[in-house]
Amino acid sequence: MVKSIIYTVAAILACLGLFIGVEIYMNKQFDEFHGALEILYKKVEDKTANREDGYAVKSLWTDKKSKLHIFIPHNDISYIDYWLSEACGLIYCKEYDLALGKLEVLQEIIKNLPDAYTLKLENIF
Amino acid sequence: MALVFIRTAIIFITLLIIMRLMGKSQIGEMQPFEFVITLVIAELACIPMADSSIPLLYGIIAIVAIFVLHQIVWLLDLWFKPVKTAVCGKPSLVINKDGIDEYQLKSNNLDIGDLIESMRVAGYFSLDDVYYGMYEANGSFSALAKEEKSQSLSVLVVDVGKVDKKNLAMCGIEQSDLNEFLKKQNAELKDVLVMTVNGEGRVYFQKKGEKYKILEIGATNKW
Repeated sequence: MVKSIIYTVAAILACLGLFIGVEIYMNKQFDEFHGALEILYKKVEDKTANREDGYAVKSLWTDKKSKLHIFIPHNDISYIDYWLSEACGLIYCKEYDLALGKLEVLQEIIKNLPDAYTLKLENIF
Repeated sequence: MALVFIRTAIIFITLLIIMRLMGKSQIGEMQPFEFVITLVIAELACIPMADSSIPLLYGIIAIVAIFVLHQIVWLLDLWFKPVKTAVCGKPSLVINKDGIDEYQLKSNNLDIGDLIESMRVAGYFSLDDVYYGMYEANGSFSALAKEEKSQSLSVLVVDVGKVDKKNLAMCGIEQSDLNEFLKKQNAELKDVLVMTVNGEGRVYFQKKGEKYKILEIGATNKW
């Protein structure tokens, strides 16, 4: 019985550690990506963004998403891929007004996605 | 991740309550919480396996949550008797010295047909073969058998005020004979809880709220 109690407590502690770790990790990753998007957004607003700026954000996201796949359903991650690719394409074509719209959507997704997986009453039910 | 854990716990508790409310007829050979775990684990293991868009970690966390809940329920069972009763239920004495306890049957969502079937599975072919019969918490049937067992199969002729015409014909009893028999017992059909007849014409007769009687009837078909 002592062994069972130890296993149970260990499982609870491991889960708690994982939950806290994942929460911190996800928030950090999305904050960093949000920061990079903000910079790109400002550059697009000033119409100074170029192809390299877009691809820098894309490569940052590619690096982050490979780890985020462990914690977030892959379909949610692919939405970011689609919108980011569209924004990069529009920046490449210098369609800044249209790119701004895409970046707005991306910022909204980035803001809401981690929230959808945090422990909140509305997410539980 | 914590969200998956909490959601799993909610589903687990809901299933457990529902299984307890469904009574013993739905359980089979397991304790209610074991049954719920079997039910949930199979599904939890399948979803991340089959759907590649869901991270495997979601399935692992949910299964670990089930393990933790199982351990907690098991420990509570050991330490607090009322919890064991609430989670696993308790045995129900459905046949006592007065005969069938209709209230106990109903509270476990069972009818007389289910009881007779359980008895046959346990090797008793007449209601009169046992002193006491009970459904254990896991839904299995146990009985304290009488020294002498009936050598003939009993069939249900009246089940809570309703005549089983097929069985009546099988026994070779006319409706008029049954009416006459009931008249002798000073009973109306609606008052009868159970009446079975075996191949030797031996009748197990119990009126609602009364003790059972062993009687004889002129059954023409012997089997």
